Amino acid sequence: MTSGNFKVTYQEDLALFQTLWVKVWLCILIILMLIVPLFLSRYSLSILNEMGIAVIGAIGLNLLIGYTGQISLGHAAFLAIGAYASALLTGKAGFPFLLSLPLSGMAAAALGMIVGIPSLRLKGLYLALGTLAFGFIVEYILFHWDLTQGNKGMSVPRPSLAGLVISTQTQYYYLIMTCAVLTTLFSKNLVRTKIGRNLIAIRDRDIAAEALGINLAKYKIMAFGVSSFYAGVAGCLMAHYQRWIVPGNFDLSLSIAYIAMIILGGLGTILGSILGAILITGIPHAITFVTDLLRETLPALSKVIVDLKMGIFGLIIVLTLLFEPLGLFGIYRRIKVYWKTWPYKY
Amino acid sequence: MEIIFNGLAVGAIYSLIALGFVLIFKSTGILNFAQGELVMFGAFICYGLTVLLKVPYALAFLITLSLGALLGVIIHLLFFRRMVGEPVFSNIMMTVGLASILTSVAGLIWGHDVYALPSPFTNKTVALGGAILSLGYVYTLVVSVLFVILFILFFNRSLLGIAMRGTAEDQNTAGLMGINVKRIFMMTWAIGTVVAGVAGIFLAEQTFVRLAMSHTGIKAMSAAILGGMNSIGGAILGGILVGVVENLSATYLSGMEIGNFRFGDIKDVTAFAVMIIVLMIRPHGIFGTEKIERV
Repeated sequence: MTSGNFKVTYQEDLALFQTLWVKVWLCILIILMLIVPLFLSRYSLSILNEMGIAVIGAIGLNLLIGYTGQISLGHAAFLAIGAYASALLTGKAGFPFLLSLPLSGMAAAALGMIVGIPSLRLKGLYLALGTLAFGFIVEYILFHWDLTQGNKGMSVPRPSLAGLVISTQTQYYYLIMTCAVLTTLFSKNLVRTKIGRNLIAIRDRDIAAEALGINLAKYKIMAFGVSSFYAGVAGCLMAHYQRWIVPGNFDLSLSIAYIAMIILGGLGTILGSILGAILITGIPHAITFVTDLLRETLPALSKVIVDLKMGIFGLIIVLTLLFEPLGLFGIYRRIKVYWKTWPYKY
Repeated sequence: MEIIFNGLAVGAIYSLIALGFVLIFKSTGILNFAQGELVMFGAFICYGLTVLLKVPYALAFLITLSLGALLGVIIHLLFFRRMVGEPVFSNIMMTVGLASILTSVAGLIWGHDVYALPSPFTNKTVALGGAILSLGYVYTLVVSVLFVILFILFFNRSLLGIAMRGTAEDQNTAGLMGINVKRIFMMTWAIGTVVAGVAGIFLAEQTFVRLAMSHTGIKAMSAAILGGMNSIGGAILGGILVGVVENLSATYLSGMEIGNFRFGDIKDVTAFAVMIIVLMIRPHGIFGTEKIERV
């Protein structure tokens, strides 16, 4: 009998689902996800929907920051492009939702690749600032372009899939979760292939990666493209879910919220992005819940909730960086190792 | 002419904020995304002192500076002392987190209202070579120039300044040479916050005291970047360039319309546009020195 999970062949090491138990747990998770809408209220389902959208965006950002090491502070801009592209395509041009979903992703990806071009010359903080500036410029354009109706906002039609108009929270839930699962699977596959390993090599040391024959330009731009595609899809879903978009939805604080997600979850891990997205989306709801409870005793609290939210995001980023740089994923791994080796230390 | 001069005065403030960026970057290697928030904090502290506590303006100015230094030290002790030697990315993200914390704290204390900061220079003008200029602008320009000279002397002549530059070059080597790296960082944060406080007071003079002041910080960051992050002269030039271009574009471009696109307050994004253009041509800014990477 073996004393642990040892890989004997390369196929085993590269497998997506590495052991039997992983498969079993995943099946249980998927069944749970399928039946959960039967038991939950509309409000809790709406929270789950928001989380699903955040998961897609966070995975995209983690592919760029966590795997490729290109800091982007303008993720909200790509979400905005996806959202507005889909709003224009379905609302004004009459495209079906199934077509506008990938198209809005493509639109974001195309712009992402353009933004990615300077990353060949700019490194680290210069790139961070470039993307930040891009975020501001996109917000400015959305505000001032007649097509996007600036501050008045745009209404977005309900998505319809082959005649079925999606209107209830449960239907949205299945739509969003399908997208989230598909994007997760895709990124899980992406990072274990040659492309993913190249991206990690670029993150760890781009000069060495180039010396090893990795085409820096191609892979950096590819990382930007994939990341913005994810953001575009997330933005498109967000637009169709909220059904009303204004440029103010996509400001710097949204970018920071996404960065908080991947830092809290763990940079360079898919599981981490999911955990982080769930937690960061959940926190404002938790705060609202607590303030609702305390409304009788502390009526002043509901006024400061916006400030509190911002501060708590900041605190999360700072505390995670100070005490657990690997994020939730690090905690998860420690617990896993602890139970695996229990009662021994290692 | 007046447009350019007003641009210069705004630019002087950008230069001061950019100077704070450069200062912190030069010795710690951290790009401080919270600089704009520190500027806002400085303005709010000064507002609190002069308006709420009725402290005379000059005294309030000095108290703000010392409180700023204290704030810098606290920030260093709480947030960055443990981060010495960590990767740049973590440090930058740390400042992003710090920025949201500062905004939220300011929002909690002072709220989202807009305040005016009265000063001895409000509504006074001076005639200079045919142009009528606000005295506050002149005062801002003079003090900014003074600060710049002071800092150039500080970095080139004083022992502490040279130690700071050495630390920026290589933390480990500096430590081996007997420089107390953590103390240097603390000093840097103190000085950086003081500069931010000064900039905040001047900015309040020209606009109002409010939370959105921190937005100016990001514009000043683009000024610092386009001048080159490790050059004091570059920060000054970048700041003035951004100020002048911004005022010119506000005057000449704001009314324009191309197709159905209206250039409303274009002022808000010119700084970023200029920065992107400069970065495309010179990735390290106008005066920035290229860092040679060794494998």
